[in-house]
Amino acid sequence: MERSRAGRALHALLAVLAIVATILFAPACSEPPRGVVLWHPYRGGEEAALKKVVARFEAERGVKVTTLAVPYEAYLSKLEAAIPRGNGPDVFIGPHNRLGEYLLHKLVAPVGDALPDEDVPAYEPVTVDAVTHEGVRWAVPLASKCVALYWDTRLLSEPPRTLEELAAKKGALGAGVWPLAYESHSAYYHAALLHAYGGALFDGGFAMIGPAAERSLEKARELVTSGAAPDEASGDLLKTLFSTGKVAAVISGPWLAADLSDDLPYAVAPLPEIEGVGRMRPFLTVDGAFLSPDGAKREDARALARALGSSESARERAETGKQVVATRAYWARADGERPAADDRHAALLRAFRDASADAIPMPVSTAMNPVWVPAEQAIRKVLRGDATPKDALAEAKARYDDVMRPPPPSPSPAPLVIMIGLGLLAAAVAIVRRVRAPGFRRELEASKPAYKYVAHAAITIFVLVVLPLLAGAVTSFFAGTRDDPRFVGLANYVDILTARGKPLLSHGSFYLTLLVTVAWTVVNVTLHVAIGLALGVALARPMLRLRAVYRVLLILPWAVPSYVTALAWKGMFHRQFGAINALLATLGVEPISWFSKFSTAFTANVATNVWLGFPFMMVVVMGALTSIPKDVLEAAEVDGATRWQAFRLVTLPLLKPTLLPAVVLGSVWTFNMFNVVFLVSGGEPDGTTDILVSEAYRWAFARNSQFGYAAAYAVIIFGLLAIMSRVLGRVGGGEAKEAAS
Amino acid sequence: MSEAPHRHAGSSALRAAETPVPEPAERKLRCAARGIEKSFGATKILRGVDLEIPEGTFAVLVGPSGCGKSTLLRLVAGLEQADKGTITLAGRDVTNLPPRDRDVAMVFQSYALYPHLTVRENLAFGLKLRGTPAAEIESRIREASAMLGLEKLMDRLPKQLSGGQRQRVAMGRAIVRRPTIFLFDEPLSNLDAALRAEVRVEIRRLHDRLGATTLYVTHDQVEAMTLADSLWVLNGGLVEQKGPPLEIYERPRTKFVATFLGSPQMNLVAGKLSKEGGAFWAEGGGVRTRVDEERFGDALVEGREVTIGVRPHDLCLAKGDAPIVAELKVEIVEALGSEAFAHGWIRSSGPTFVARLDAADARSVRPGSAIPLAAAPSAIHLFDAKTDRALGD
Ligand SMILES: Nc1ncnc2c1ncn2[C@@H]1O[C@H](COP(=O)(O)OP(=O)(O)OP(=O)(O)O)[C@@H](O)[C@H]1O
Ligand SMILES: [Mg+2]
Repeated sequence: MERSRAGRALHALLAVLAIVATILFAPACSEPPRGVVLWHPYRGGEEAALKKVVARFEAERGVKVTTLAVPYEAYLSKLEAAIPRGNGPDVFIGPHNRLGEYLLHKLVAPVGDALPDEDVPAYEPVTVDAVTHEGVRWAVPLASKCVALYWDTRLLSEPPRTLEELAAKKGALGAGVWPLAYESHSAYYHAALLHAYGGALFDGGFAMIGPAAERSLEKARELVTSGAAPDEASGDLLKTLFSTGKVAAVISGPWLAADLSDDLPYAVAPLPEIEGVGRMRPFLTVDGAFLSPDGAKREDARALARALGSSESARERAETGKQVVATRAYWARADGERPAADDRHAALLRAFRDASADAIPMPVSTAMNPVWVPAEQAIRKVLRGDATPKDALAEAKARYDDVMRPPPPSPSPAPLVIMIGLGLLAAAVAIVRRVRAPGFRRELEASKPAYKYVAHAAITIFVLVVLPLLAGAVTSFFAGTRDDPRFVGLANYVDILTARGKPLLSHGSFYLTLLVTVAWTVVNVTLHVAIGLALGVALARPMLRLRAVYRVLLILPWAVPSYVTALAWKGMFHRQFGAINALLATLGVEPISWFSKFSTAFTANVATNVWLGFPFMMVVVMGALTSIPKDVLEAAEVDGATRWQAFRLVTLPLLKPTLLPAVVLGSVWTFNMFNVVFLVSGGEPDGTTDILVSEAYRWAFARNSQFGYAAAYAVIIFGLLAIMSRVLGRVGGGEAKEAAS
Repeated sequence: MSEAPHRHAGSSALRAAETPVPEPAERKLRCAARGIEKSFGATKILRGVDLEIPEGTFAVLVGPSGCGKSTLLRLVAGLEQADKGTITLAGRDVTNLPPRDRDVAMVFQSYALYPHLTVRENLAFGLKLRGTPAAEIESRIREASAMLGLEKLMDRLPKQLSGGQRQRVAMGRAIVRRPTIFLFDEPLSNLDAALRAEVRVEIRRLHDRLGATTLYVTHDQVEAMTLADSLWVLNGGLVEQKGPPLEIYERPRTKFVATFLGSPQMNLVAGKLSKEGGAFWAEGGGVRTRVDEERFGDALVEGREVTIGVRPHDLCLAKGDAPIVAELKVEIVEALGSEAFAHGWIRSSGPTFVARLDAADARSVRPGSAIPLAAAPSAIHLFDAKTDRALGD
């Protein structure tokens, strides 16, 4: 009876697993659909235009085309998952600068006769350049995106010819109106300046170095210090400033137009020149029609790709989809047609087309990815005036080179194997000891039924927690990028623990980050407990009116998703437009640039995290307070205690057993509080406020995908937390146990 | 156990042993409450209570559950604030002082020991707060623990103690303080019957030995009767009667006090006074008895409506020519060994009636039989039918 029930449970479990497996792997087994499959990230008008183009192609060629809109955020991972299994698209539309990744994962094949030599003149040359890599054309260029200058036709009579001319308008525009705004901290936007001076971000390595780069940074700083452009302008801020006439011109891409009201009097022009230097040249991204390796073998797929680039298609995409199409024929005809003067969208597209003529295609190599962070750190440092351009750039290059350092040669796995072997041996000895201990068999026998009840939980924990942990631990023995892992044994750990060969407390070293993390944890948990205690005790007082209301209000910060709170606080700490500086201003305090100094950035992070964390402690305290008998406190009062003495000598010790686990938990959470650090300060200034987890994140996702290195970080963090919980538990454990009953 | 650990205690104990409790007026008041009123929300709990406790007196506060005994005690301790009235302790007006400035010690019903402190620390807690020198603390703790037999338990936590031991620690915590007054709120109610009797005696012994002044709340009449020098019966927010316990037992001034003290309760029947042959009789509900003219004096008026009360213990089986007061239809006989209680009724429509019988007499009484009862006229209590006050007071 017992056995058969267990058997049935097992069957049920297997059935569930089977269903899950079917759902997971079914697409892989299903027949590839006939016809052509097209993936694209478009929505709205762009999607409608594409649908029309595809319908025409289907009608003309008699082939079925299945289109699938995949959200942009998930695009690459979906492609990576689907194409190698043979159920991906034949043709997919994507930005050309992802080509490095496409190639790495073997998601693309050359376009071949979809873009034959005779078609090349039909496209804007710069777009063909963009999709050409090492002499091979990898996509049919469809549309391009780059930034241009939006200018307010009320504030300016004509688009400025030079940057200096625009900057000189300061003062003439009226109080509180900036001549120019752009995301000055972003390397993407800075690139337009850099290119004007003949510099580059990337040339196979970190290229933002040398006189051109230095001069571009000086120029950027001059714009900010002269008051020609605001500091720390985010995309949202630009939109607000421009919509409200607080800035005469902004540098942005076509996406801004979608957010601006139709009534706003503005026009778009190519970026201005820099006096005596040359035209600002933004980065260009080209959407191309790529062929998957399977698709490239199919004539229909190649025909579709070619048709997508045709001039009829271009017209549709330009007029319905509002795309800056790459097809010259369309522009030639459009120029000839002389569109109505009030057709603003046509004018807008034309302006972006003109801007793209000078643009520089974004590099396609995956080695480009780790350029952004050090480049932006350098830009911010210079804009804040913390370093000269030369020093900042040299440092950035050093950081890039450090990140891109080739993995060490594979060592003999012997030391690792020996270590693991020793570990297993120790475990085995421990187990044998346990088994041989008297009574063990009896206990095992007796607890057999219990195992049945916990089995499902144990399996779940094993699959969801232990396996990933092991996988992470194994990953940490590999170095190199995700796609080119190489076994390096313990080299990652050695690297981390020796601070990559630099001084132990040098910038970004494990030990410095650990110090910051410990300080972060201690400060936060202390404040959490102090505020939680104070509020918990205050709310427990029966006299307080509206107690229930306060309670709900105070728990609210906890109920809001932490990233929402973090973003809200980040906005409040903005130097020019944040609520906190506005508040300080009413007190006569100069505006603080919160994220430009370690102390203030750290404070901002702490403030956010304290806001997020105190309700938990408060709830714990309120719960624990109800378990303290009232008469014990009265006894203390009669014994002669003041309020404070009663709290310190009776309430607090009695809260301790409940508070201690909460403190351990809170410490672990805070130690790993990625959201706040990543979203509020983002490690600013210069990565100094990063804690261990956010550092690990950067190794995995911002520094050339060094998952092994990040995994080693994660394992170390795990170890540290395990030890910390142990120690904290020990420290309070004895007392906690005693006072528990 | 050192005799006379401090002079005051010794002399007071001596005095307590030598002379009967003197009248309050002759002795200094340790605790006095005047015109205390207290409400919780709309319900008025105390409606003008006066309390006087002379030095060295063991005062016991009794009353039905919810009558406000604990509230009064907490008012004295300062844990509640009175709406009206004043409280003085050792001649000092403490009405508006917090508990810590009142110099009282309280033993709670739940003992309220500090769960995280050892017995020693529990005892030392109040002294440390008051900045008593360490040596003094040490000696007082030694003395108290010896008195209470706590020496072996000093390093245990409260949860490692039995109920009786915890009770002792709670008393020890009060004793070491040497307060103006000891306050006890039903300190024995969590103990089993045997232990309760034992501790009861011990509390009284300690009180005498320390020459302490004590205010003790209980609803157990045995405690009230055995412990009290002066007993205060609280009812309906007022002191219904006060005085030495025996006096109250023998001369209850109201029907409530009469029924509240004594177990089983006093039997009550409605009746009327009549005069026959120069003597007053009370008669009603099947009861007919002579009354003590000397005791009631002028209150005896022919035809007056009264409630006749007689304690079960004052009844006995009528033998020989003793006048029969009533005839009891026995329903149940409770034999306790040395004595027995016969429960039944006089008139089937009347209230239940209880009589105490000697064990020997009870043996022949069967349920269902009727037995004649006798009582001395001096044991008959009379209450005015309307006001419920005792006649002759
Ligand atoms: N804090 C309070 N708030 C509201 N009502 C209260 C409060 N404390 C006591 N009471 C009420 O006051 C009345 C007297 O309470 P108290 O505890 O003094 O009774 P007691 O005589 O000690 O009864 P017992 O013998 O059951 O302990 C009760 O009706 C009780 O419900
Ligand atoms: Mg009570």
